[in-house]
Amino acid sequence: MLRHFFTLIWNKRKTHALLIVEIWASFLVLFGVLTFLLSNLRNYREPIGFSYEQVWSMELTNNQDTTDVPAKVESILRRIRAYPEVESASRMSSNTPFTMNNMNNSVSYQNASTLAEFYRTDESLYRTLDITMQKGRWFGPQDRSARYTPLVINQKLQEKLFPGENPIGKTIKKDDTHFWKVVGVVETFKGKGEYMNNTPAIFEPLTEKDWDMSILIKTRPGTDATFEANLVKDVLAMVRNWGAEVTYLTESRKTQHNLTLVPVIIFGIISTFLLINVGLGLFGVLNLNIARRRGEIGLRRAMGATERSISLQFLGEIWVLASFSILLGLLFAVQFPLLHVFDMDAGIYLLAMAVAVVVIYLIVTLCAWYPSRQASLIAPAVALHED
Amino acid sequence: MILNYIKIAWKVLLRHPFYTFITLFGISITLTVLMVVTSFMDHLLGVHYPEGNRDRSLFVTSVVQKDTTRSSRSSSPMSVRFIQTYLKTMQTPERVGMTSMFTFANAYVNGKRIKLFTKYTDADFWRVCTFEFLDGKPFAEQQIKTGDQVVVITDDFQKQYFEDDGKTVIGREVEIEGLRYRVIGVVKGSPATRPYSYADVYFPYTVPKSNYERGNMRGNFIAILMAKDKSELTTMQSEFQQAMSRIPQSGTEYGSKYTNFTIKAEGYADQYMTSFFGDDDSRRVFFFTAVAIILLMFMGLPALNLVNVNVGRMMERASEIGVRKAFGAPAKTLLYQFIVENIFITFIGGSLALVFSFVIIQLINNSGWIAYADLAINPTVFLVSLAVCFLFGLLSGVLPAFRMSKLKIVDALKS
Repeated sequence: MLRHFFTLIWNKRKTHALLIVEIWASFLVLFGVLTFLLSNLRNYREPIGFSYEQVWSMELTNNQDTTDVPAKVESILRRIRAYPEVESASRMSSNTPFTMNNMNNSVSYQNASTLAEFYRTDESLYRTLDITMQKGRWFGPQDRSARYTPLVINQKLQEKLFPGENPIGKTIKKDDTHFWKVVGVVETFKGKGEYMNNTPAIFEPLTEKDWDMSILIKTRPGTDATFEANLVKDVLAMVRNWGAEVTYLTESRKTQHNLTLVPVIIFGIISTFLLINVGLGLFGVLNLNIARRRGEIGLRRAMGATERSISLQFLGEIWVLASFSILLGLLFAVQFPLLHVFDMDAGIYLLAMAVAVVVIYLIVTLCAWYPSRQASLIAPAVALHED
Repeated sequence: MILNYIKIAWKVLLRHPFYTFITLFGISITLTVLMVVTSFMDHLLGVHYPEGNRDRSLFVTSVVQKDTTRSSRSSSPMSVRFIQTYLKTMQTPERVGMTSMFTFANAYVNGKRIKLFTKYTDADFWRVCTFEFLDGKPFAEQQIKTGDQVVVITDDFQKQYFEDDGKTVIGREVEIEGLRYRVIGVVKGSPATRPYSYADVYFPYTVPKSNYERGNMRGNFIAILMAKDKSELTTMQSEFQQAMSRIPQSGTEYGSKYTNFTIKAEGYADQYMTSFFGDDDSRRVFFFTAVAIILLMFMGLPALNLVNVNVGRMMERASEIGVRKAFGAPAKTLLYQFIVENIFITFIGGSLALVFSFVIIQLINNSGWIAYADLAINPTVFLVSLAVCFLFGLLSGVLPAFRMSKLKIVDALKS
């Protein structure tokens, strides 16, 4: 049966060449769009690792004032913590959640080395952002006099640097004289939002000399912009000619998400239209083909072929055609995971391929269904009747 | 005669509404996508309000300092000092405008927060850009020299801050981050996609909080060099190169040493690419190859589809061609008829596409996705893509028909 389909298709290879190219191209387009979509979807399903509702971020700028900056920021932080509307507040380096800022550095332990995002922050960040600890604890007052700088890492970093080991208490070399000691592990921390890859992260404590001027403020429910205006006014009254800019994390999260979602939606819409277009075209071509093969169908029917076997023949033919195109397409698609074209998981590529294969077969079947049904209804007497 | 062909074409279209639909769907969707994409590109890179002099300007947006011994690299906009010493003194430019980048502030009014993009600019900025003043005027050199706390605001900010009470806002005060400024002008706002002119409030660069004294070379300001006209761009470029080559390559900046620096003056589109890809040419090549492949895929698929359907349908016309030939129509007339038919359907598809893209562009402009969006249909792109569609129609529809018109009458009529 299958061999017969192959012979039929091989005999008409010239007419089918264009069809094959069309299905092949649709497969590749689908594969590309699905890879893009699935990688974002997988990221989205991983928890973000902290809570951002009710959290504001205050960006301070010292402008021309360069005296005693760290002390001034500390006193501003103490003032903010004193408000009854504020539940918790923490200082942090400029790469606060949902901003564009990055602080990447490489860290190594024994032979393993990886790039990690560094967050410089204080002892209360885990309370401000509701970060859940997986192992160990957040750094606290007891670490202040310790020999090594305490460090909190996320699980991704643990997997990279300490595979199969318990990282708590291990020391990481910073430079020749300084060492870090891991005191805690958090689950995930995706600072750029849900659509970000889960990448290694490190939290290290701020020192008295650091100039980091972002403050995260967790407010009590029901706090509004009136308090915000007072807060900014009070802060600016403390430090002349400084700047203070407040954003809500929920707002900046939305901005970050739009950066990811807008291209996804645009590509999605365009490729949906493309696939509809291809489907319609396929339908038209198959319809024409069948109209031309009325004689052949009539003959088969006259020889005793059932309606089922006729429609199965046409469906089978298009399936063989589609399989051939998909095989060609897979040859191209498989290069992506093999050559690591983009920094992406092989699993995503494989899943995208599988889904693309299923969708192509689905479209092809859907388009061939009606024409083959029509073909099976052709009565031999009518088809073979010659004027 | 033409009218007759169009009538035939119309009848042919109506005979199989389904195939007509497929063809029109393909043509119009492809054209629509193409038009919306190009109109967006034009929105980003073309000459538009308020940067009406982009085509005769060069943009100096960043300086890169490298330390080869420690392999460190810092890149940022320039300092006011640098722009004033080396760029403002150039001879070829008609004007050199200067503005700060990426500065923000909040203003509070009646318990409501207004997020502001701020810009600190000089007086020439207003001459380099083509802002439309709805009220008042820009600040002049004198006000910058004396450090007046004045501000030019956009109509949008005026609406939010003064809540549209109908009175003129010139001379009134706004409070931004604890400082009070006197409004001296109101301009029509610009879209956020134009980073060198977009802001909600514009201050003279000498007001407090502008940090304009910071830095030797790196700072927070960019410069727009505007030539007298387009033909002087190359002269201006070479003068810029010369001026830069006179500056010593190494020095100290913010306490760290650098051994060499690079700075570029580029046209708007070039600097836009640089801001995305840096100096890395291989990334640029990679990006353009990827875009070309994606475009080829997206445009090629509907074209293939069109060809497939058309080739399949040609057989239908065989008997028609046979009859016409039997009654003495030469091959040339037949060809002419098919071309007219093809133009006709491409034309219908094109008009549909025009309507679709118009609707989509209006939707984008009004969605508030980009404030002050001014996307428009680009007629050149429309005509070119219409021609491409026509070409594909020609290849797929007319070529087989023409070949068939060469058939012997008997063969054509037999089928």
